[in-house]
Amino acid sequence: MKKIAVVNGVRTPFIKAWSLFDRMPAQKLGTLCVTELLQRTEIDPNLIDEVIIGCVGQPIDAANVARVISLQAGIPKNKRAYTVNRNCASGFEAVTSAFEKISLGFDDIVIAGGAESMSNAPLVFSKEAAGMFMKLQRAKTLMEKLAVISGFRPKHFAPVAALSLALTDPTCGLNMGQTAEVVAKKFAISRERQDAFALESHKRVVASRQKLREEMMSVFIPPKFDISATDDNGVRENLTMEQLAKLKPVFDKRSGTVTAGNSSQITDGACALLLMEESKAQSLGYEILGTIAAYDYVGLEPSEMGMGPAFVIERILRKAGLALKDIDLFEINEAFAAQVLASCDALASKKFAEENFPGGQAIGQINPDILNVNGGGIALGHPVGVTGARLVLTCLKEMKRRGLKRGLVSLCIGGGQGGGILLERN
Amino acid sequence: MPNAWKLLVENGIGNLVFDCPDTEVNILTSERLKALDTILDEIASNQALKALLVTSAKNRIFIAGADIKEIEGIQVKKDAFEKAEQGKKIFQKLEDLKIPTICVINGACLGGGYELALACRYRLACFSNNVKIGLPEVNLGILPGFGGSIRLPRRIGLLKALPMILAGRIVSAEDALKNKMVDHLYPEKTLLEDAKRFAQMVVKRGGFSRRAKKDAMTWFLEDTFIGRAIVFSKAKKDVLKKTKGVYPAPLEIIKLISKTVGRKGAAVYRLESEHFSNLGTTEVSKNLIKVFFLSEKYKKFRWTDSAVAADGIQKCGVVGAGVMGGGIAQLVSYRDIPVRVKDLNEKALAGALKEAMGIYKSALKKRKIKKHELENKMGLISTSLDNSGLKNSGMVIEAVVEDLGIKQKVFHELGDLTSPEVILASNTSSLSVTKMAESCRYPERVVGLHFFNPVNRMPLVEVIRAAKTSAETLEKTILFSRRLGKTVIVVEDKPGFLVNRLLLPYLNEAAYLLEDGISPFEIDTLAEKFGMPMGPIELADQVGIDVGYKVAHILQEAFGDRMKVASILEVVKKQGLLGKKSGKGFYVYKGRQKFANPEVKLNFSTKKVAAEDARKRMIYIMINEAARCLEEKVIDSAATVDIGMIMGTGFPPFRGGLLRYADSVGLANIVKDLERFQNQVDAKRFEPSAYLRELAKKGGTFYS
Repeated sequence: MKKIAVVNGVRTPFIKAWSLFDRMPAQKLGTLCVTELLQRTEIDPNLIDEVIIGCVGQPIDAANVARVISLQAGIPKNKRAYTVNRNCASGFEAVTSAFEKISLGFDDIVIAGGAESMSNAPLVFSKEAAGMFMKLQRAKTLMEKLAVISGFRPKHFAPVAALSLALTDPTCGLNMGQTAEVVAKKFAISRERQDAFALESHKRVVASRQKLREEMMSVFIPPKFDISATDDNGVRENLTMEQLAKLKPVFDKRSGTVTAGNSSQITDGACALLLMEESKAQSLGYEILGTIAAYDYVGLEPSEMGMGPAFVIERILRKAGLALKDIDLFEINEAFAAQVLASCDALASKKFAEENFPGGQAIGQINPDILNVNGGGIALGHPVGVTGARLVLTCLKEMKRRGLKRGLVSLCIGGGQGGGILLERN
Repeated sequence: MPNAWKLLVENGIGNLVFDCPDTEVNILTSERLKALDTILDEIASNQALKALLVTSAKNRIFIAGADIKEIEGIQVKKDAFEKAEQGKKIFQKLEDLKIPTICVINGACLGGGYELALACRYRLACFSNNVKIGLPEVNLGILPGFGGSIRLPRRIGLLKALPMILAGRIVSAEDALKNKMVDHLYPEKTLLEDAKRFAQMVVKRGGFSRRAKKDAMTWFLEDTFIGRAIVFSKAKKDVLKKTKGVYPAPLEIIKLISKTVGRKGAAVYRLESEHFSNLGTTEVSKNLIKVFFLSEKYKKFRWTDSAVAADGIQKCGVVGAGVMGGGIAQLVSYRDIPVRVKDLNEKALAGALKEAMGIYKSALKKRKIKKHELENKMGLISTSLDNSGLKNSGMVIEAVVEDLGIKQKVFHELGDLTSPEVILASNTSSLSVTKMAESCRYPERVVGLHFFNPVNRMPLVEVIRAAKTSAETLEKTILFSRRLGKTVIVVEDKPGFLVNRLLLPYLNEAAYLLEDGISPFEIDTLAEKFGMPMGPIELADQVGIDVGYKVAHILQEAFGDRMKVASILEVVKKQGLLGKKSGKGFYVYKGRQKFANPEVKLNFSTKKVAAEDARKRMIYIMINEAARCLEEKVIDSAATVDIGMIMGTGFPPFRGGLLRYADSVGLANIVKDLERFQNQVDAKRFEPSAYLRELAKKGGTFYS
């Protein structure tokens, strides 16, 4: 089987929504990243066969945002590009699609990544209101127009944020935070554990700032370019348990434990990775970051979507014939502290294994010292279409720094799925 | 010689084909006009014809215009008048045909070509970038003389026609349709068939019209006495502001159209010929025509005999993100070439992006580009604090500070970083490229590429041949510069190259004149009256006193006392008056206004310098230095000096160029004046060069 390598990658800083990147749509963020990747790898754009970009909230003014990014980054017009959406795992999906395309010989060299501007999620009008606006546009005479206008009611002018719609699972009727509450209650993850985990995430990001810069580019903010974003700006330097404890639960106001402080942030960003066969990379003279040894996706109960990592980690290890101790570094995306902790607990639980895993054997306790060593989504933010690609990049760079052999990155996926990628370095 | 006109008839529709033999271009010479006259008589008497198409057999050209060589040859006013009369009588015959006439424009349709089109009843064109339509006569110092000045306002209205003729604007097919300069567009492939169908339709229906209603304001401005008066007075004001009155053609056009607009009858056409004849023999027009030929020549001039056919540059690096670096990045990205900008300073990088964005935004405002183009082109500029992204560039342009040591360091680093086929270019304005190349691996790929500020607007680049520059490097750099839309002159690697070596003494002399007690306004006005786009004092402020001072010093070091920097420059620089960028230089700038700066202490001397002498001192010092450049073979010819000064400094084209102007003054007169200035002002600065003395003694000219 071909060995598919991640040659290099780069991402923008992850920037809190409605702040520095407020005016930069996903296509712009993606273009900056892909351009920078082309420059840093000094690859001839003519060699790029395809650009695959994960994006959940596709910009309404840039259908197939991957194509827009590809062209604006100066990749020749006769090259291909498409956008993928596997909700929170869209960044993964881009990478695994690239893996598939290269493995099957459809592509030789692919840029895969994600681009997401949660700041630019549109406000939408109800279907009823949209119908009225359409009628108004079609009305020809003044009388017809007046007739339509007289039909408008105040409720028609109240738009709904597409973002909140997107973060709600229509099949179980819960939004993502509510699924985290479900998991927290079912697996009894206390508020204190969640807050402590969140605090650790922030601490680790602060400590890793210099390291994280290695995977990042600076972004000058147009149109004036007088400010540049050089670091992730969601992290809080002097956060304390007391401050976290003060926050009120958001999704279950009475007896809930999930707060804004122990959930991931709403964030803008982009990430791009260069993938090709390992032998190809060698022939082009590249020193690679690592290879993709395996990957998988699983389906599970949508209202417990946060358990996705537990299921997918078990499955990947089982299929690769590996044990927990064979993995040197873990990344589990921090959508919610509750969901990461519950997944870890589940992997260590004999009872959970008997009920859910084919072998019935518990996988074991993941050592917290090798889990999300540079922090995660709680401190960095979780631009949904991008995170998957970032996890791959962050993990590979850390494996390189530490000289490690295997890393396993995973995340939970809204709608009830889990995704994971096994990374290797020689 | 075979006839250029051929009439083909099919189903009662005549097709009058213009096909100039033995050339790729259709041009209306007087001989071909006469032939047209004859064939129009036949057409008029041919009862079987129901309609007439006028077409071109050339691929990308309908009619490129009248024969400019013929216009250049006109010596007396009467001939000019006759020529215009002859042409317009023939076009009148075309207009007077009883059958519908349809002009089928498949490519360039300019000047006399479009005047012919205007004499037809309908004009059709095709969707193609080859279609270029306009009346650019004004650029040659004349006006449309074959009825175009009369018919265009009739066809498209005064408000649109006047600026079109005054600016000599050339428009695309789409814009021509919007302006009603053509009536319909068809696909290029089926243009002829569609035109025939159009003819049948017109014959059947008896006409075709797409006249839209005028709004009240347009009606007021175009069709009332007061309205027109407003239009013409505004036009005149704009022209005077732009040309300072040194170009007679636009003023003559306004005079003509104000007399003829809205009037019918043969008299208006006669007026056009009269006004044409006022311009046709002027020296301004002759010079503009010469400059036109010159600039055409330099667009394709073969500077080397290298067989390289393309520059092969797919990506460009820029090192140094100052004003020039930012400007170069914008220019490169504008031609859809990715560009990587490196600087050690993050602020500078941001500045380069801002500079590029500013240029694009103003282009957007002027509707020269669309919003999506701005996004696409800006997206091609990326920045970096390290060398990443430079290695795989086809060319890296150095634009760091003017310091030889720093530049040598950059070239050393770039030389080690890049492979030998990557061209390394320096945007230095006066330092030795040869010395930079010495510090570099494979110096044969090092070349000078001197852009002028502002990079996007100045049409010239000086390509500098350093001691070891290979012909291939030179040719690729020339081809790349042309791809960027620039006119190239090749200059040897001597301090100041050509343009700065001539321009700095001019600025320096202006500073000496200040010391002699002439006010900055007086000096600038003198130069502007001569035709310079901006006076030397204001220009010094614009360039930056510190920058100018630095270059002036480099030249003084290289050429000694004849380029001794005026002391006032140093004084002003030490006062921190750096020019426009700091708000204060020789002038104080407030908004759009400028005032003489009281901080600048003038009146070092109270010698009275006559205005004429002041002008001569500034211009002749350039001529003298240009002669030295020719003597030292810094450039190959007088024509190169002229094209360089016109495109690099805005030296007035209507003077024909610096050395053509010198020829017209007489070299002996210039030497005499220089000798007088040697006695009166400075023996070194005005010492006539051996080359100039020699030429003057022989009674020769720069151009002979």
